[in-house]
Amino acid sequence: MPIPHGFKAVLRVVEWDLMKLKRQKAFIAMRTAWFIIQSLVFGYAISRIARPDIGVDYYKFYLLGLYTALLYSASIARAYIIADEFDDGIIDYHLSLPLKRSVLAAGRVLGGAVSTLIFTAPMMVFILFLTGGLDPISFLISIASAFTFSIGVVSFVVIIVMKLKSTDTTDIFFGTIDAILVRLSSVFYPLPIIKALNIPAYYYSALFNPLTHFADFLRALVLPEYFLLELSPAQSMFYILGLGIGLLVVAIELFERKLEAGGVK
Amino acid sequence: MPDLAVEIKGFTKRFGETVAVDNLTMDIYDGEIFGLLGPNGSGKTTTLLTIATVYKPTSGDILVYGHSVVREDYIVRKLIGIAFQEPKAMWVDKPWDLLTWHAKISGYSSSDARRVVREVMEELGLWEHRNKYFYQLSGGTRKKVELAKVLIQRPRLAILDEPTAQVDVITKHVLWDIIKKMRKQGTTMIVATNDMFEAEKVCERIGIIYRGRLRKVGSIEELKDAIPGGDILEVSVEGHGLAEAVLEDLSVYGRVEVRGDVLRIYMNKGEEKSLEILEYFRKRNIGVKRIMIKEPTLDDVFMYVTGAKLRE
Repeated sequence: MPIPHGFKAVLRVVEWDLMKLKRQKAFIAMRTAWFIIQSLVFGYAISRIARPDIGVDYYKFYLLGLYTALLYSASIARAYIIADEFDDGIIDYHLSLPLKRSVLAAGRVLGGAVSTLIFTAPMMVFILFLTGGLDPISFLISIASAFTFSIGVVSFVVIIVMKLKSTDTTDIFFGTIDAILVRLSSVFYPLPIIKALNIPAYYYSALFNPLTHFADFLRALVLPEYFLLELSPAQSMFYILGLGIGLLVVAIELFERKLEAGGVK
Repeated sequence: MPDLAVEIKGFTKRFGETVAVDNLTMDIYDGEIFGLLGPNGSGKTTTLLTIATVYKPTSGDILVYGHSVVREDYIVRKLIGIAFQEPKAMWVDKPWDLLTWHAKISGYSSSDARRVVREVMEELGLWEHRNKYFYQLSGGTRKKVELAKVLIQRPRLAILDEPTAQVDVITKHVLWDIIKKMRKQGTTMIVATNDMFEAEKVCERIGIIYRGRLRKVGSIEELKDAIPGGDILEVSVEGHGLAEAVLEDLSVYGRVEVRGDVLRIYMNKGEEKSLEILEYFRKRNIGVKRIMIKEPTLDDVFMYVTGAKLRE
């Protein structure tokens, strides 16, 4: 009986997260319904109030930001799942399986990213439809960039949870991070407007925030008028790619060298 | 000399200031059922989880079929299967989903995984529970799901951490039969337990571990022989306890222990010397309610080598 190795083994580990996702059908349907209401009702209402003087349709700007915030929150939510697994000893079980630690780490990160992507896919399609970006090329690029972004966030989550080793601390840490990073980004507030406020700390926080790069990359892809407004799409693409790969490598390294039952020493 | 399955060489594990296992050295032979006996917190689980590469040794090493858990952990994991003391599942998991995933990770194709999981679940009487949530399962059924993982995997070395703890008597016998069957099929087994009866019934050799240190290792007969002479004289006396001076006098016969109102003397030629001891009590006007000579049990061996109570 040959034990799976390499990419096949990674895919087997990915199945763990997909198995868990299967149980969340009702939750996904509920979140999708709520997201549609948010986009059509509240998003439209806020865009009637906001009048950015930067030549962008704020409603479309808002919708792409809303998807970014959702993708980010769904990726961060992996933290709560993994922390629960830690509490229930599932991590000990995983560490005893006939897998290389690197395979386990890559599998859990990719599994988390794939689950997040599946979870948010109906909402992405809906947003692309509303913003007029539902052509095959834009769709494929959006999916690929969302997947890469999610890999980065899930890797970050895995690294932190393995260090924190506590559901309570995880809840507080990621609840805070979630709230702060969304606000210190261009998810709902255009970067030129933030710049015009003339608060350097706010502007530079937003400028280096991965959420800003992902949201603005999507906007540059779908909204021609947003193109090159502040950040170049190539710059953002490399930022997201670098962050995703870099954090994945750190997560793998952590599993390989430091991880044992009870967390990272 | 049988082949070695596990060589534990000066293994120490610390958690901060706490020494969980202290300089443990012992061998486990290929094809045997080895019992790791000790009370809760004695270091059994830490030792087993380190053999399974879930923990890393602080110092020392453990070789599994010649492969180091420190340097060749992946190879070691391919050789072992472990049933944890606490079943590893979330409350909303279902046994069928968990076990088919486990089978696929262990190398079965999807169709073979479904077949083998069904076979194992039927063997363990789990089939009717396959689609229940974990929180709906009894403690014994959860233990069976944990053991099913090892049966599916068919490893060369199976590690079972307290496989029958909190399990009813009938299920215990089912699990013991399965352990013995696996042994017959050539699997080396390490069974951690604090149940003396289980250790005596199932295991061929036993290591007694207490407060992180190995106190004695050997076959059950060898362990019983560790008690000098192999006789235990138990005396129940009238009144409340015995004076220190009396205990000191009696210590010339062997090690003396008092448990409640029962005096125990580990000694040689118990039958002969019991008359002398009765005479000693008579001279001091100490009433004897009962006197008996016992063959040592594993329980006695544990008490003798550790000087402690098993369930602390």
